[in-house]
Amino acid sequence: MSTKSFLNDIRNGETFENQDARNLFFRKIALYAGLYGAALLFIIPYLWMISRGFQPRWQLFAAEPYLIPREITFQWYSFLFEGTPIIRWTINTIIIAGGATLAVLLVDSMIAYSLTRLNWPGKRVVFSVIVASFMVPGIVNLIPVYQIIVELGLLNSYLGVMLPVIAGPIGVFMLVQFFKDFPDEIEESARIDGFSTFQIYTRLILPMMKSALTALGLFIFIWTWNAFLWPLILLQEESMYTLPIGLVVLQDTMTAQQPGLIMASALFASLPLFIVFLLLQKQLVEAVQMQGTVG
Amino acid sequence: MLDLIAAMRTEGPRQALNLWWQEMVDEYDRRESAEGILFALPYLIAFVGFMLFPLLYGFYMSLYDWDALNPEQSEFIGLGNYQTLVNDPRFWEALWNTVWFVILTVPPLVILALLLALGVNRNVKGQTLLRTIFFSPYILTVAVVSLIWVELFAGEGGFIRYWLGFVMEDPPRFLIDPTWAMVSIAVATVWWSIAFNFIILLAARQNVPDRLYEAAKLDGASSYRMMRDITIPQMRNPLIFVVIITFVGSFQVFGQPYIMTDGGPRFSTHTIVMYLYTTGFAGRDFGYAAAIGYVLFLILITVSVVNYYVLSENE
Repeated sequence: MSTKSFLNDIRNGETFENQDARNLFFRKIALYAGLYGAALLFIIPYLWMISRGFQPRWQLFAAEPYLIPREITFQWYSFLFEGTPIIRWTINTIIIAGGATLAVLLVDSMIAYSLTRLNWPGKRVVFSVIVASFMVPGIVNLIPVYQIIVELGLLNSYLGVMLPVIAGPIGVFMLVQFFKDFPDEIEESARIDGFSTFQIYTRLILPMMKSALTALGLFIFIWTWNAFLWPLILLQEESMYTLPIGLVVLQDTMTAQQPGLIMASALFASLPLFIVFLLLQKQLVEAVQMQGTVG
Repeated sequence: MLDLIAAMRTEGPRQALNLWWQEMVDEYDRRESAEGILFALPYLIAFVGFMLFPLLYGFYMSLYDWDALNPEQSEFIGLGNYQTLVNDPRFWEALWNTVWFVILTVPPLVILALLLALGVNRNVKGQTLLRTIFFSPYILTVAVVSLIWVELFAGEGGFIRYWLGFVMEDPPRFLIDPTWAMVSIAVATVWWSIAFNFIILLAARQNVPDRLYEAAKLDGASSYRMMRDITIPQMRNPLIFVVIITFVGSFQVFGQPYIMTDGGPRFSTHTIVMYLYTTGFAGRDFGYAAAIGYVLFLILITVSVVNYYVLSENE
C-alpha cells in the first residue's frame, strides 16, 4: 500500500465519516503496533549481544544493565583472537560445512538425475525407502552411527562429522521434485546429438538446475555450520572443534566471569552466516519454503 | 515380485526365475540400467551406511549390555534395557520434562508464527524489513542463541530481570529457579525457531488465491469469517506440516538445556535427548542409550501419526 493511500486511511479515520473507515483505522494501528512491537522484541537479543561485547568490565557487572554502551572497548575481541583458538575453529567450520555441502550437492544431484531420467530395476523401491527415511529422527541413529564412526577410525575427523549429513534424504527428495520437470525434448535432442549420459548430467542438468542446487547448498551449509549435538560428540580435541562447540567450551572454561568475551565470540561466530543471509536472503527463503511444499 | 512368487508355484522355481530375468532384460536397457545404478551408487552407499544400517544396528545394540570398547564382548540381554527403562524414574522425569517443553513451545511456535505471517502478508509498510527480522534467527546456531539468552536472563544486571523489576516486586530468578528454568528455555526457543514456521506459513498464505477473498467480500463476509472459512482451510496442509515438524523438533530439544542449564536445577530441564546423551556418553551405557533412542523414535512416530489424523479430520 502506498504512503498516499495510507494517509488517506488515516484522514478518513480521523474524520470518522463512517464506522467502516474508523474500524479500518484502528485495525491498522493495531496491526502496525503488533508487528513492529514484535519486531522490536525480536531485535533486542541481537542488540544485547552486540552491545555487551563492546562494554568494559564496570558496565558488564553494573547493577543496571546498559543496552547502549557508555564507553566502548575492544578488549574482548582482542582477547578472543589472541587468547582463544577461534580462528582455528572458524577454519574447521568452513571446511566441514563447505565439504559437506559440496558432497551433498554432488551425490544428491547424481542420484536425483538417475531416479528421474534413467530407468533401472528397483529404482521405485529405492526411492520409496529414501522417502520413508524422512520419518527417522536423527537422534535414533546417534548411538549406532557413533559406534560405526569409531570402528571406521573416523572419530575426531572432518569426514566423520560430514558423513551423516551426506546420508540425509532431504536433498534427494528436493532435487527429484525439480529434475522431474526437466523437459524431455531437450534430453532427447541431446542424445540425438550424441551426448552421453554423463555429458547430459554435467552439461545440461547441472547448469539448468542451478537455482535448485543453490537453494539446497545454502540449506545444507547453514545446517552443517550450526550443527551442535553431532560435532559435540564426535570432535574431542580442542583443535578440531567447530564454532558452536568452541563457543560452549569457551563459556565453560571462562565461566560466567566474562560475559563480554562470550558475547564477542557469539557475534563473531554468527557474522559469516549473517552476511550470507543478507546477501542471499531471497534464495534462502526459497530454500526453506521448498521444504514446506516438499513436506 | 508377487508375480514371481506366483510363477514359482506354477512353473517351478528355475523356470520362473528364467522368465523373470527375461522380462527384466526386455524391459530395461542394460546400458541405461548400469548407468542409472552407477549414478545412484555414491549416495546409496552413504544412505545405507549411515542411515539404514545404523537404524537396524541401533536396535541390535539396544538388546545388549553394550561394551563400547569391545563390542564383541557385549552381553545379550534381550529386552532387558527396555525393562530397565520402564522402571527408571529418571527416564520418566526426563520424558515429563520434555512433554512440558513441548507444551510450552508448540502452541506459541505455531500460533505466533501464523499471526506474524498473516500480519506481514497484509500490505504493511516495511514488509521486507519485518520479514528479514522475523526470519533472521533461522541462521543462528543453538550455541549462540543459548549464550545470548543466558546473558539476557542473568541474575545481576541481567536485562530481563532488571526491566521486570519495574513492573513486579521480585522478578523470578529465571535459570536457577526450577519452576522457571524450562519456561526460560522455551522463551529462547520460540525466539529462535519461529523463523522456520513463519517463513513456511508466509508462503502458504501467499498461495491462497485472492479471488476467494474478493468473492467473500462481495458476499459481505466479516474478516473473522474469511479467516475461518478461507484462510485456515486453504492453508491446511502447510499448517499440518508445521505442527508435526514443530512437535518432532521440540521433542528432540537438546542444545538449549545443555548449554543454558545443563539439565538443572534439580533435573528440571533434563530432557530425553539429554538423558540419552548422558547415559551414552557420560555413562558409556550404549545399549541403554540406544534403547532410549528407539523409544523416542516410537513416541515421535505415534505423535506424528496422531497429529496427522486429528488435524486432517478437523476441517
